[in-house]
Amino acid sequence: METYTVPKMPARRIHEGSRPVFVLTVFVIWAVLTPCRPSQGADLEYGAYLASECTTCHRADGETEGIPAIVGWDEQHFIDALKAYLGKTRDNPTMRTIAKRLTDEDMQALAAYFRSLAD
Amino acid sequence: MKTLISRRNILKTAGAGAAVAALPVNLARAAKPKVVVIGGGPGGATAAHYIAKDSKGAIDVTLVEPSKIYTTCFFSNWYIGGFRNFESITHSYNRLADMGISIVHEYATGIDPDGKTVTLSDGVKLPYDRLILAPGIDFKFDEIEGYGPDSTEIMPHAYKAGPQTVLLHDQLHAMKDGGLFIMVAPPNPYRCPPGPYERVSMVAHYLKNNKPKSKILVLDPKGKFSKMGLFQEAWARYYDGMVEWLPGEMLAGGVKSVHTASMTVKTPDEEFKGDVINVIPPQVAGRIARDTGLTDASGWCPIEPATMESKLAPGIHLVGDSTIAGDMPKSGFSANSQAKACAMAIRHELTASRAFPPRFANTCWSLVAPSDAVKVGASYKATDEKIEKVDGFISSTGETGTLRAQNAEEAVGWYSGITADMFG
Repeated sequence: METYTVPKMPARRIHEGSRPVFVLTVFVIWAVLTPCRPSQGADLEYGAYLASECTTCHRADGETEGIPAIVGWDEQHFIDALKAYLGKTRDNPTMRTIAKRLTDEDMQALAAYFRSLAD
Repeated sequence: MKTLISRRNILKTAGAGAAVAALPVNLARAAKPKVVVIGGGPGGATAAHYIAKDSKGAIDVTLVEPSKIYTTCFFSNWYIGGFRNFESITHSYNRLADMGISIVHEYATGIDPDGKTVTLSDGVKLPYDRLILAPGIDFKFDEIEGYGPDSTEIMPHAYKAGPQTVLLHDQLHAMKDGGLFIMVAPPNPYRCPPGPYERVSMVAHYLKNNKPKSKILVLDPKGKFSKMGLFQEAWARYYDGMVEWLPGEMLAGGVKSVHTASMTVKTPDEEFKGDVINVIPPQVAGRIARDTGLTDASGWCPIEPATMESKLAPGIHLVGDSTIAGDMPKSGFSANSQAKACAMAIRHELTASRAFPPRFANTCWSLVAPSDAVKVGASYKATDEKIEKVDGFISSTGETGTLRAQNAEEAVGWYSGITADMFG
């Protein structure tokens, strides 16, 4: 994940301990209520942020009309498909441009997020 | 304030409806931060959608848009060419309303940046904690002599989609075979750089199949344009001899005046008479942005690249065509992309949600003939100075028909995707 600070708005302020009670409470609720998320440990919130770049074209509801649906895929299959744009097997320039700036961690977060949308 | 929000969320998440009802409701409601969005196009609708969706009720979102339906500029050329019907490019705000967004069908007549209120045409004042403006473009009617707001009924611009699009379509259909269609193209910068030239392709497609003796004349103040080689290849290949494009250097700078009664347009040296005349005037940021002092000397709005916040008025964000967006073109795709960065920054500011470095993107598909589309696209990042291009691509001349057909199919998929992303 890139290290980054939004000007005037310290990024990821929530993790800096300014509101420990809030953070702890949210974590407890999350842990209790979401026991069966895909890819335990995957950062779904980060995945959701990355996914907003995808949903301009790939519909978040999984409907498809001319551009493939990417909701509910097996996560490894999803990652393999993205990586194929970095080699010679898939050549769509739009997807190549997007895939080029995704790290392995980004791809895992995206795969987990789009998998979770099918739940 | 934030403690209350946290409690409300926790209780809601836990499904403790009765406990929520027992909260001091008025106090809780008063504590909710308010975002007002002005303009319901690709920028505004997307911003409202994403703030409502991702804040999960923690932020009150109001979308101010005078029209009850929205016709997309993108794909309006496809309608003119006969590739889409008008209904298919027209959308309601019903699903955004179902998500809990207040949709207010009034004009925003004024903004008080100090008092943080928006005044509507019915006199109501809307308070806000953060304001998003997505006003799009206005036309500079004073730059072409004789072309005022009334002239658009005779020489349509069809560059804000809706009744103008239908008018141009109907004029084209009523034109005699052997007629001359004139387009007066706009100077930079303007909305949708390939848009005028996709339109030329769509008009040519219609004429080739219905009025093949007709001609198209493009009078352009510019010397080059977006995807120029690709469009010119297509015009020669599909519409040989039908399209004539004249650059500004051959027109002593371009069209300086029009006369609607005689259906003529004039450059400093020449006069042209057309049967249908499409004037796409020079452009500037939408009125409310100018009236609020959010534009600089260029007529467009300077913004902080990472948050889309105005450089001239803190607390007010701008997205879409009205902004100076660095390397990004003015397009519906760009506006949609900027709106998500803006929504994330505002949620972070108001509810301390996580913020990440925005990743902007744009792709523009242009249909040049049936099952033949070309595309240009890029990824962008925010630097301290501007929204900067990271990487990009453009279709090549001489590509296979299979690839071009895939592009056309992809464009249809994108339309489905972005309109779902905008309107829910």
